[in-house]
Amino acid sequence: MKVVHNPDLCTGHGRCYALVPELFGDDEFGHGYVLGDGTLTAEQVAAAQRAVAACPERAITLVDD
Amino acid sequence: MTDVINDPQPFRNNAPLQLDRAVGWDYFTAPGEVYERDGAYYLTSIEAIRFAHQHPEVFSSAKAFDSLGSPVPLIPIAIDPPQQIRYRRILDPMFAPRVVTPLEPELRRQVREIIEAFAAKGECEVIRDLGSLYPTGVILTLFGMPLKDRDTFIEWSEAIIETSGKNAASDMSQAQMEAAMNLFGYLQGYITEKRANPGNDSLSAVLALSGDDAWTDEEVLGLCFLFVIAGLDTVTAAISYLMYHLAIRPDLQRAIKETPDLGAKVIEEVLRLELPAPLTPRVTLSDTEVCGVKIPAGAFTFLVLGAANREDRPIPDDIDVENADRGHLTFGGGVHRCMGSHLARRELKLMLEEFLALIPEFSLAPGTQPVCKWPGGTLHLESVNLVWNTGAAQ
Repeated sequence: MKVVHNPDLCTGHGRCYALVPELFGDDEFGHGYVLGDGTLTAEQVAAAQRAVAACPERAITLVDD
Repeated sequence: MTDVINDPQPFRNNAPLQLDRAVGWDYFTAPGEVYERDGAYYLTSIEAIRFAHQHPEVFSSAKAFDSLGSPVPLIPIAIDPPQQIRYRRILDPMFAPRVVTPLEPELRRQVREIIEAFAAKGECEVIRDLGSLYPTGVILTLFGMPLKDRDTFIEWSEAIIETSGKNAASDMSQAQMEAAMNLFGYLQGYITEKRANPGNDSLSAVLALSGDDAWTDEEVLGLCFLFVIAGLDTVTAAISYLMYHLAIRPDLQRAIKETPDLGAKVIEEVLRLELPAPLTPRVTLSDTEVCGVKIPAGAFTFLVLGAANREDRPIPDDIDVENADRGHLTFGGGVHRCMGSHLARRELKLMLEEFLALIPEFSLAPGTQPVCKWPGGTLHLESVNLVWNTGAAQ
């Protein structure tokens, strides 16, 4: 499973990197991005789901790889 | 277009928001997720509001903020894309977490000093003694203006904010006009000075832009004026709500002391429940349809964010720390997402940490009941009187 961040929907609320810094970073505009290629270990899925629920723009999704 | 600014808006103005905002949001939700009252349209569901947020080409901000009575266009809130995007590319980096974080020691020092001034007294009024002082100091710091000007700045901004959301600019009283002119004169002086001698602050950074990116004085004034309207009163309001909810919940005060991470969750929940900017205005530029309801071009539209924040929640109307990480719309969404959200969250976090460090237990002053003034511009408690045992404060 992978976590995907859509930069076209992101407007920089910053909830993903504030709540789940192990999976998301922040850029100079305060927008989020996925660290690495987004591939999740079984232990990281719950944290990624937390970021999905936290994003007010619904810019983060989980996809099967 | 319906002149919402000057026409009476009985439906909006009669909303019962004074005592319990939950009752007020229910009032707005009851007629449906999209509906018309008194010539204005109300969007109350997450789906409807998200549609407006994602279609700024239909739901325009350009004409929507005239009621704030600014003599210059408010930048970037009252600007539509693509020009708005240009402004935000410049401004977002100045308010990003990586800029806010280095300011933290100074912001912490400022709020600690404010709280220390009343900690030994055993009582305070949150708005007067803390909520109005702190955000003003923060904005002055960010803009590189001296903290000693804080009280004058507060006087002007309070006079101006008093106008916002209630009257058209033409209805501004003499005193309000004078305050706006004084504030403009003050800001203009700094703009001139910082153009000549730039400092290491956000205002200097904007003024240093050159060529096609250069800002006119009018644009810079519009930005500064927005910060007075959007960056001061809103944080004051959030501080008043946070302290009110903690005052009536001694269990939460204790829980945060035992588990400091809980503080951020309580802050998110108070932000979800209590919105300083309750009705975000837009004006439609073309005929549209939202959730099956047709809205004509030129319609004044209110996004009722507080109503959407309670949708699909296990505990809609109370602090729910279990679900505090779920997203809410208090800072808006889409291209106009509140530019100051990172700064506001940091201010609230530092304020809460320093308050609890100096005043571990507090409650509402006996016989007092904080109420919101409505109708008005921003929604905030008029006063929150707290008391505590000074023996415990040492």
